[in-house]
Amino acid sequence: MTWAHPEGWLSQALHPSLTVIVITIAIALAVPLFLHFVLFRSSSSRTLPSFLIVGPSGAGKTSLLTLFERGSPATTHTSQTPLTVEAALPVTTTAASNRYRSSHDPSSKEHKIFLLVDTPGHGKLRHHAFENITSPQHLKGIVFLVDAANLSTGAGGPTDAGLREAAEYLHDILLMLQKRAMGTKKVPEMPLLIAANKQDLFTALPAPLVKAALEAEITKVRESRSKGLLDSGIGMGDSDMAEEKEWLGEGGEGKFEFAQMEDVGVSVTIAGGSVLGGEGPEVGKWWDWIAESL
Amino acid sequence: MLDSFEILTTSGVVLWSRTFAPVGPNVINGLIRDVFIEERITPNATVTEDLSAARNPPYKREKYTLKWTAVKELGLIFVAVYQSLLHLSWIDKLLDNVRVIFVDLYGDQLKKPNTSIVECHFDEYFDQQMRELEKSARSAQPAKAVAAATAAADIAPSTPGGVGEEPPPLPGIKSLSQKQPLFTPVPAELSPVSTPEVSRPASPAVSHLLSAKGGPGGRTSRRARKAANASAHASSGEESPARRPRSVKSNTKKMRKWDADGLADEDDNETSLDYSMNAGDGADDGQDGGSRAPAVEAVSQSSWGKKTGKGEFVLKDLDEEVHEILSSADAKKANGAASDGIMGSGISAISGLFRNVVGGKTLTKQDLDKALKGMEDHLLKKNVAREAAMRLCESVERELIGAKTGSFQSVDSIIRTGMESALRKILTPTSSLDLLREIQSVTSPSITSLQKPRPYVISIVGVNGVGKSTNLSKICFFLLQNKFRVLIAACDTFRSGAVEQLRVHARNLKELGEREGGYVELYEKGYGKDAANIAKDAVTFAAQSNFDVVLIDTAGRRHNDQRLMSSLEKFAKFAQPDKILMVGEALVGTDSVQQARNFNAAFGTGRALDGFIISKCDTVGDMVGTLVSMVHATGIPVLFLGTGQHYSDLRTLNVSWATNLLMS
Repeated sequence: MTWAHPEGWLSQALHPSLTVIVITIAIALAVPLFLHFVLFRSSSSRTLPSFLIVGPSGAGKTSLLTLFERGSPATTHTSQTPLTVEAALPVTTTAASNRYRSSHDPSSKEHKIFLLVDTPGHGKLRHHAFENITSPQHLKGIVFLVDAANLSTGAGGPTDAGLREAAEYLHDILLMLQKRAMGTKKVPEMPLLIAANKQDLFTALPAPLVKAALEAEITKVRESRSKGLLDSGIGMGDSDMAEEKEWLGEGGEGKFEFAQMEDVGVSVTIAGGSVLGGEGPEVGKWWDWIAESL
Repeated sequence: MLDSFEILTTSGVVLWSRTFAPVGPNVINGLIRDVFIEERITPNATVTEDLSAARNPPYKREKYTLKWTAVKELGLIFVAVYQSLLHLSWIDKLLDNVRVIFVDLYGDQLKKPNTSIVECHFDEYFDQQMRELEKSARSAQPAKAVAAATAAADIAPSTPGGVGEEPPPLPGIKSLSQKQPLFTPVPAELSPVSTPEVSRPASPAVSHLLSAKGGPGGRTSRRARKAANASAHASSGEESPARRPRSVKSNTKKMRKWDADGLADEDDNETSLDYSMNAGDGADDGQDGGSRAPAVEAVSQSSWGKKTGKGEFVLKDLDEEVHEILSSADAKKANGAASDGIMGSGISAISGLFRNVVGGKTLTKQDLDKALKGMEDHLLKKNVAREAAMRLCESVERELIGAKTGSFQSVDSIIRTGMESALRKILTPTSSLDLLREIQSVTSPSITSLQKPRPYVISIVGVNGVGKSTNLSKICFFLLQNKFRVLIAACDTFRSGAVEQLRVHARNLKELGEREGGYVELYEKGYGKDAANIAKDAVTFAAQSNFDVVLIDTAGRRHNDQRLMSSLEKFAKFAQPDKILMVGEALVGTDSVQQARNFNAAFGTGRALDGFIISKCDTVGDMVGTLVSMVHATGIPVLFLGTGQHYSDLRTLNVSWATNLLMS
């Protein structure tokens, strides 16, 4: 029997000798530290408010991101992976949460830092954006960037492909936000900025026209979606998947307006600007919007 | 000549670029879209961990050829653009070298989270590589016939005071660079070391160029700064020449000698080092030692001052640094291969086992192979063609090699998620597939677009007996529900009974359509006529009598029958369909790939299929692999699924549904 006589290893181990105590303390301290380093080293503990940049390919999302981060846009190409960067509000704009402070409060001098998440706009890679919307971490707002010069229908393109793509993407995002709001009791606020980029170009539509064009086009999208075929997930698979199709806005009929989205906590703002301008970038309105929603 | 060279991240930010002639951004965007996102061009048949640019097929767009290479774990892409007319043999080498250098210099900056900024002053390194490779390419041409040794000898004298250069990594010269692996494994550091004969006159140059690093006009390279920091404690004005030699001393322990032909002398022993020391010449002290500092300082400092006047030292310094990086990368590769057998056990094995359970294990090809084989079998059981299954597995493998497993995540589960996302990626269409809106935009275009309304033409092709007419009537019913005026054109003028069959469908649909508010008519011209002409007439007739949509039924044809397939080209030219849809059955197995390819190619250049209808999906249960096979073969999306016998049994594809079935 290992514990019967004092020389047995078990009685040694339970005996209050110095060695045993030291070993126990060492293990007790080392194990949590060790687990911490193995498991949690990579994950960061800080959660900053974040903004999501979405939009069709070629709208200038990555350029905007680099502009906000560095102050000047970098040359970019088609993105394949999402990118998260830290950016700070410029000194000239004050975040909404800092408004109450007096202008002499030293803490208001500090830059407000937030995360910007860029997503690829290519059709096959939009799941990145959708994932970010459905499982947000401190998501404070969504910037939907459109190329205003690509929306103008009569500009020479044979079809209004740019407008259609933008409208469909925006429709999907709004639908997703609506679904998200329906699921919860308390309607979460989610400001959405439609940033009409490339206003420096001659063919670019001004912001109010962009709004009108997108609303009209989303109306069409909604209409044709409601008439379209059921998708294969319904009826063929399990019966519990047979959920009703969802319409954007109330009832899904008539003309769509962004104001209808207020019901689900999505307040849509439209502002024009340009990332790469002839006379430097014009993104003041977008900064203001970000400051507003921070 | 090279037109442009860019280093960009997968998130789209250009880190560094050099443009020699303006190249539109759409050229590189095209590369990213076609090669990386849509994977139209399969990178290469076998996946290896060797990512040399030579293994990646060149991508041609407009008048340019693009060569590229990538570093997956850092998300870097290196692209070289040049005119297709030129044949630049050294581009591959340039890409590889630049990749190694860039990763070595800025790798740790790239790993920083939450930033897109990489401070890089890469110009000089790039210029150096360009110069070196161009030079070697030029000299390679006359030297082709001559033996490698001669070529090396040619170049060696051309570099005066020649010890600063190590005899050639000269990569452009084929014969030499092939020999290189023979001697690179020996030392980890390739610090330039001369044979005794040459060393004496030349070592001042060594010390001078070394000292230049610490010099006051110092360049901004990271290594140089690091070196400066390391010896910052000794802050006399004189120490700069003495400082670097000390670090060299540690290198010289594994010294390599170069003999006259520029090949490594393998038996490097201490004697040669001793020889230089015994010579006792102050000039040699550049190689060993801060301990004998006074003598060194006297000599090397003078040489330093003298040479700086020429202003050449920066170049030499850079050469050396670059070569060091390249050769240490080579050595690492060789070491990795060599040490596997001997040192692979022990601690690394234990930590490997631990990592297997806890996660954080870096995946290698061996880890993945077995699990991927299982995944491939699983896909084959789901009726995915072998070719498509292999491609999917390869793309997963490419994605995962070098990746780290998460906490408590097994290799199987990581492969599963990888495969799910690969399936999702291949099935998700690039652009929207909303047929109704497309029809609307053609039949009633907006006033601003200056287009005349015309009927929208859809034609349906496929192999015999897959259900072309049935699916055509299903689409027709769907359009009738949306109150369109539809004309069905019976262009199957070959099989007896085909027109009658359509007539029955048309009669049924007409009655159903009247209830729904649409209108349908059959356009028939009997048997034996040319299908293309009938189709053309049908479209004209539809335009005259104000139809919205023309649906053209064609005769079924075997995809490997050249005679029948060739008539499709004429058909596409005459009927000018807006959409050509191919019907494929879900029952077909491996042949689906060939069917899709042949039909896709049959319409001549400039015209291809626009979508697939996969029929008989209700008969296969969860074995819907045909979907993947057909999309894999052509990159064309699946528009509809046929799921039953009724007119209403037509569905659009739900990607997550298909993925779930395939992975179940």
